[in-house]
Amino acid sequence: MCGARPLHAEVVAIVAAGAVTPIGADLDAFWSGLVTGADGISAIERFPVADLRVGRGGEIKKLPHPRRPGRLPACRASRLLLGAADDLCARALLDVDPARLGVVVGTALGGVEELEHALGGDRTPRRAAATLYDSPGRALARYLGADGPVITVSTACASGATAIGVGADLLLDDRADLVVAGGYDVLCRFVMRGFDALRSLTRDCVRPFDRRRSGLLLGEGAGLVLLARDAAWRGPRLGRLLGHASTSDGSHIAAPDPTGRGLETAVTRALRAAGLPPASVDFVSAHGTGTPLNDRIESGVLRRVLGARAEAIPVNSIKGPMGHTMGAAAALEAVMCLLASRHSLIPPTLGYEEADPECGLDYVPAVPRPARARVSLSTSLGFGGCNAALVLEGAAA
Amino acid sequence: MNGVGVAGIGLVTAWGEGLAALPGDARRAAAGRRVIAMPRLEIAGDRFRRATRECLMGVAAVEAMLRRTRLDRAALAGDGTALVYVTAAAYGAANREFVAPSTPIGALHFPYTAPSAVAAEVAIEFGLRGGYVILVGGAVTTVDALWQGGRAVARGECERALVLAVESFAECEELYARARFRVPTPLVEAAACALLVPGEGELVVEPPVASRGRGPSPLETRARRRAGETFACAPLIALALAGESEARGVLTAEWRGRRAALAIRG
Repeated sequence: MCGARPLHAEVVAIVAAGAVTPIGADLDAFWSGLVTGADGISAIERFPVADLRVGRGGEIKKLPHPRRPGRLPACRASRLLLGAADDLCARALLDVDPARLGVVVGTALGGVEELEHALGGDRTPRRAAATLYDSPGRALARYLGADGPVITVSTACASGATAIGVGADLLLDDRADLVVAGGYDVLCRFVMRGFDALRSLTRDCVRPFDRRRSGLLLGEGAGLVLLARDAAWRGPRLGRLLGHASTSDGSHIAAPDPTGRGLETAVTRALRAAGLPPASVDFVSAHGTGTPLNDRIESGVLRRVLGARAEAIPVNSIKGPMGHTMGAAAALEAVMCLLASRHSLIPPTLGYEEADPECGLDYVPAVPRPARARVSLSTSLGFGGCNAALVLEGAAA
Repeated sequence: MNGVGVAGIGLVTAWGEGLAALPGDARRAAAGRRVIAMPRLEIAGDRFRRATRECLMGVAAVEAMLRRTRLDRAALAGDGTALVYVTAAAYGAANREFVAPSTPIGALHFPYTAPSAVAAEVAIEFGLRGGYVILVGGAVTTVDALWQGGRAVARGECERALVLAVESFAECEELYARARFRVPTPLVEAAACALLVPGEGELVVEPPVASRGRGPSPLETRARRRAGETFACAPLIALALAGESEARGVLTAEWRGRRAALAIRG
């Protein structure tokens, strides 16, 4: 959890990944969308937004249909998870005793859209039961036949990273032999109303680290990875999780700590857990929401932690083309880091055009950048002072 | 997880503070009520004006633990204390109010709809800036929370870990009844925490053990009989009962058809 001790021999293999995103319905389409500059932001069509200041987001227009037989979940969050699981299972076999297969998913919103339905006239027991935030994770476990630990993490928008960390801990403590871990969240009226009321949404495009940045847009999606103990895994792998840490700001219910102290602790601990100095980092996948405060604080933390090399390390944020996918964001960003290593190509920070002297790092603009990015750092922040950091090592193609 | 002790447990329930407030038989004491609700607690500080009552319950549980252990709140502050928070339902009331407001709500209501709000208020109040994990689920998930906290202590990743659970039901009583959860009543609102530390404390928790085919342990049964159904708080209440009676053995937990178990050494 805290990662204050080096993991070294306790490295976790990331065997494969699966994704459902606004820019692509599977992992290949996700990567292709990232590097070709696909735009997943559109007018929201699935629920009313006329009364909101902003009615755009990264809405997935068509969900993939589950490949396995069974009753189709009414819950959109579960559908997203099942779609990502199908993609994952097409790339790796879950060949393990079901009692040794764990599931850890992160979410900011759980099945909250089900509450909107349940209070809006759908009085079925199924809808009411689905209002609990752990319901989609349980649906995923049922779908996969997982009978090991099933855990739902909710560290707000850092949930995906924390979930991957908890999944690694399950393996390192021998509570499971394989773990499906990641994050998801659904774009629904509940969350659009919330961010609209906070005036966090931009009428412009999302511009992480840009001088003109004026807020975020929301998106939806799911990202899952298959984790195994590295020493025991004999097959190919996408990469490795070298270290992780999650910390609390203890500062404010909604805003990040202006000093960035909590995020700094998370990054420092994750690097220490990985047994790596900051100079080892080749690439940073930043949270980069495009809000004035987040991007300034995050840049300051990276500058302090990465030290003299900070300005030489490429940084990106992929929230421009998809919006902020909340619980899915950190999981998708972790997957992006591994794919960047595999393809020796760093996806661009769409929307970043004009440098902000208050940020001042090497943000990858408009087009993908060829780069050797073996070790990457992925940072995440969330409401309630949640911070998380992952240190990842990608496997070359 | 060798060398992890429970330094103290804090407990506030709708029955009152501590184990002494629990009835001998919660079902009988409920006298047919499905939910035993806890009123909004009065905690000094303008900062809590907007906080939900679940946040206040979390703060009260930690304060109860500090009183019981005679620890100063400064002992918790800083990045050496990890916080592992767990709840199955303590966000339901705020969510319901956001979807269908009974009174006008402000922009800052939205952050309080997240399960992380309770953990955030506790972290702010006690200055906790260490490891941070928030889990959603019932009693089985609290076993996972104790594992996470105990693991961090055992590996020296933190100096101490506060495992906190909060549950509220009143505002969503009708919804839960509609969901036909197969849980015994009464549902009893509660907040409980355990402070895990290195070395031997009142109890020693060991990692979750296989629970397939296992029925409820005497401790689980006793906690339910005394407190009622408290979802994520139940294992912490059971830990408190174990400490009181110097019990040892296995603590089991159940949530929505899954079971987990935790070994306890007295």
